[in-house]
Amino acid sequence: MKSLEIGRPIPRVDAYSKTTGQERYAADYYGENLVWAGVKRAGIAHALIKDIHIDDAKTLPGVISILTHKDIQGSNRQGMIRKDQPVLADNKVNHCGDAVALVLAEDKASLHKALDLITLDLEPLPGIFDPEKAIGEGAPLVHEGHPQGNVLFKGVLETGDIEIGFKECHAVVEACFELPHQEHAYLETEAGWAILKENGQLKIVVSTQSPFRDRSEVAEALGINVEKVRIIAPYCGGAFGGKDGVTVQTLLGLAVFHCPGRPIKMWWDREESFLASPKRHPARLYYRLGVKPDGALHALDVRFYYDTGPYDHLGGAVMALGLEHACGPYRISNVSLKGFCVYTNSPIGGAFRGFGVPQVTAAMEQMMDMMATQLGLSPFEIRKRNAIRCGDKNPIGISVTGSTGFEECLKTLEEHYLWKKRNEWKSKAGPFKKRGVGIASVMHGMGYGPVVPDFANAKIELTREGKFRVFSGVVDIGQGNASTYLQIAGAILNQDMAHMELVLPDTESALPSGSASASRTTSTFGNALIGAAQSLKHRVLQRAAIYFMAKEIKEVDLIPGGVNHFTTGKEIPLSEMFHILDDSEKVAAYTFTAPTAKENPTEDQNLRLHGVPHLIFSYGVHLCYVEVDELTGNIEVKRYLAVSDCGRIINPQTFEQQIHGGIAQGIGYALCEEFIVKEGRVRTPDLATYIIPTALDVPEMDSIPLESYEPTGPFGLKGAGEISIDGPLPAIANAVADACGVRLFRSPFTPERVLKALKERENREFEH
Amino acid sequence: MKRVFLPHNLEELWRIIAGEPKADIYAGGTDLLVKLRQNLINTPSLICLERIEELKGVHEQGDEVMIGACSTHTSLLENPIIQRNFPVLTKALNVLASPLIRNMGTIGGNICTASPAADTLPPLYVLKAEVEIRSRSASRQMALKEFILGPGITCLKAGEIVSGIWVKKVPGFNLHHFEKVGQRKALAIAIVSLATLFKISGEEMVEDVRLAWGSVAPTVVTSNEIEAMLVGHRLSRQVLKKAAPIARAIVKPIDDIRASADYRRQVAENLLIRLGSVQK
Ligand SMILES: Cc1cc2nc3c(=O)[nH]c(=O)nc-3n(C[C@H](O)[C@H](O)[C@H](O)COP(=O)(O)OP(=O)(O)OC[C@H]3O[C@@H](n4cnc5c(N)ncnc54)[C@H](O)[C@@H]3O)c2cc1C
Repeated sequence: MKSLEIGRPIPRVDAYSKTTGQERYAADYYGENLVWAGVKRAGIAHALIKDIHIDDAKTLPGVISILTHKDIQGSNRQGMIRKDQPVLADNKVNHCGDAVALVLAEDKASLHKALDLITLDLEPLPGIFDPEKAIGEGAPLVHEGHPQGNVLFKGVLETGDIEIGFKECHAVVEACFELPHQEHAYLETEAGWAILKENGQLKIVVSTQSPFRDRSEVAEALGINVEKVRIIAPYCGGAFGGKDGVTVQTLLGLAVFHCPGRPIKMWWDREESFLASPKRHPARLYYRLGVKPDGALHALDVRFYYDTGPYDHLGGAVMALGLEHACGPYRISNVSLKGFCVYTNSPIGGAFRGFGVPQVTAAMEQMMDMMATQLGLSPFEIRKRNAIRCGDKNPIGISVTGSTGFEECLKTLEEHYLWKKRNEWKSKAGPFKKRGVGIASVMHGMGYGPVVPDFANAKIELTREGKFRVFSGVVDIGQGNASTYLQIAGAILNQDMAHMELVLPDTESALPSGSASASRTTSTFGNALIGAAQSLKHRVLQRAAIYFMAKEIKEVDLIPGGVNHFTTGKEIPLSEMFHILDDSEKVAAYTFTAPTAKENPTEDQNLRLHGVPHLIFSYGVHLCYVEVDELTGNIEVKRYLAVSDCGRIINPQTFEQQIHGGIAQGIGYALCEEFIVKEGRVRTPDLATYIIPTALDVPEMDSIPLESYEPTGPFGLKGAGEISIDGPLPAIANAVADACGVRLFRSPFTPERVLKALKERENREFEH
Repeated sequence: MKRVFLPHNLEELWRIIAGEPKADIYAGGTDLLVKLRQNLINTPSLICLERIEELKGVHEQGDEVMIGACSTHTSLLENPIIQRNFPVLTKALNVLASPLIRNMGTIGGNICTASPAADTLPPLYVLKAEVEIRSRSASRQMALKEFILGPGITCLKAGEIVSGIWVKKVPGFNLHHFEKVGQRKALAIAIVSLATLFKISGEEMVEDVRLAWGSVAPTVVTSNEIEAMLVGHRLSRQVLKKAAPIARAIVKPIDDIRASADYRRQVAENLLIRLGSVQK
């Protein structure tokens, strides 16, 4: 077998087990004497809890126990920055998905009966559902005690002088954009399994992105010793940010103490997942952009509101990342950016692939096209003239260092046949069809920012069977990073896949690492893994050199399954090396913490805590062909191209899957996905009403990686997990405007909205 | 838990029905199981028609075709008799749900569910299909448009099943067209649909036409008036534009999460306009 190499499309290690149904997800855990746990949810957006009637349910046969906030010893609060979400609601309900009572039952049927029998005595309060109104005078407060009222977090970034800047401008464009809640809709809904062991250990197997953080959250919310909590994180059946934080963990942790020794399972159905899980923040963004006569961007004034629902499910950090990306990959010297992350009684706004960036990109990239139209420039030309380069100051005043391939991306697009042949394609539209081509630039920061340490600890050991076992500290949520870890370690240790082994994250065996998020998963853990693999390799070779009586360590090298002594041609299997090495030599560990920006765009420590600024960015430019049906308003995306600068590519296939997946999810965000809740009632409760794209709705996609070299990344890579979801919405919007001269400021661009806009345009033309 | 009966022939079926008069009947289960999950089915037992061979298949009998009620959508899509004689039905089946659902769902189930958005109904209306109904002791046949009374309501009585659908061949109609507007390309519930049969002369003149709209009223909408307006003309924009307001007037759509009534009215009209550019 050939040893693993960087840059090759090796098949994913999870491919076979997943496609044959053998891989065990958290949702697949059962066990003898199983207890089913489930939650009674509020079903109302804002109310005082007067009473929770559990007596009828309690006496139901098959019911083991019913728990409320009164049964919680700890803080009963969970969250990552501001811990404001109760495990079980105590005095108030703050959104319709709030958990109020926890039922443990012998079987599913009794569980559902009991949940139906619990009644809540609620005193409704006026709800607040619009973030802008929520910060107005007299709005109902979501958290009475919060000093900033309904403002969870406000961020301001300013450079230059915005007033003077606009005075110096030759043309100004202004617009307001509105974007909806987007639901993650992962295949595997929230699921977990737990048991309280005899030694007092609380063991939780859960579909999560953040096992190490979950561990402390569970301990704190429930008032138990963190040492007693063990989290095991199998592959997630999708997560996209929705499992970056506690879902079933604390509820299971509470449950186990009421049936010690018995396994407990909680598995939300689709409707519960939709009701209770966090969503992409709905946003309203006010943009004003000014340029000099030559098309140079000169002033940008941005004010936006992110609706975070009632809890800080990373909402502040989401908003801060939006703020940092609000200007796109361009040079602008006078900038004023204000972002508000606001509490409401809407569903929880939280982490979702893109993390606040898709919203601002949607706005900025449409502004670029609107400005281009005003100036009579091509959308390409205006981007090219303003493209950010290495050595520039970015609009928030941070020097652009490291790999910066944005201009290269533009150049690649310009030479691509899809760009060159666009007019020919557009001219061939059939009857009642209008064709258009749109582009959008994207950029995406990597990692946690300057304050929260973006760290990973890798561990690798030599096994008795002569294999290298990698202990992954960062969950594979479906993106394939676990395979990439083996590829990285295998390449360094010169092994083939048969001699590599993987242990998925388990807080007992893996070393602490950050979450699977922020486009950092492969970069940060990969760097740690390189260190661990090199260290173990060195140790094995040192000992092998002695064994072969080699003069120099250079005379020996690892080969798949063994060590070779070049001078004699002799080999020793790794399984024998295992016996030569002392236990202390068979394992190596290494820590890596991602570098952070030296410059500081703000005195606001809180904004820094929430992640501003980032140091390393991936870049790209997207292009799409769309066809608009004038009779139905339907938009069909016919062709898509993404050119990306995500540094060097370790596995081209995995990379392409990330780009394709992000485009598909981005097409859904642009065209059909809109999670609707009216006065606390979910109007899109399931997959029949919440519309995600099918395979037929996604066009043929081309992905071209530029493969610049990022010196801080493992083998030169940068993050690639999120950037591709930033582009589709504005690229499609720009293509639609190109096709038929209408721009919708509210997404998704449903056929009904498009048809209405077409009609309005027709009426306007008629009047003139 | 519910008992599920799986009869293998009609005789067995009648015996089971007699013993389980309260049982619900199903074929592919793609509608019934959704309701079951939502706790909308309270019957103690279920009888599945899926294994009864007598209820499956497509049979050519002179100028008529009999489609077994339990034929799956996939089997009909692949059937040469259907492909040859009823392209309008094939076109609708092609955009019904997804391959997986089409493998399970049946044409009888689609009819008996009697959803305003059912995709096979507009084609079967323009084909003037008849429904064959059977019980242990009797058999009757009636026009599909008489059989369907409203959303989810049919003429089916206790102890009866739909055994087949009779469709006359339509050699005179040389252009079959079906268009469905949904929220995505597959797994979409129709917002508006239009099935059309045309007889177009060598001079591009409409000699005969049948139209049926889906999803814009409690049941499928047809219009003799519009059909009469089109006969004797070429399908020019002008002619269609004249007929379009009538389409708007005869549909009775609702507002729902998928679309507003206004949009449905507009599109019902616009799908008519499209007919001018449908390729033969
Ligand atoms: C995900 C999904 C997508 C769908 N998409 C579409 C779509 O795009 N277009 C569309 O039209 N439909 C769609 N459907 C609905 C459904 O698949 C179709 O209506 C299908 O044809 C139903 O057939 P069935 O055999 O599965 O019906 P079943 O569920 O078995 O039965 C439905 C009803 O009809 C009765 N019934 C069935 N057969 C008989 C019979 N022979 N005699 C008497 N009564 C009978 C049953 O008692 C039951 O009340 C979809 C369903 C799902 C789950």
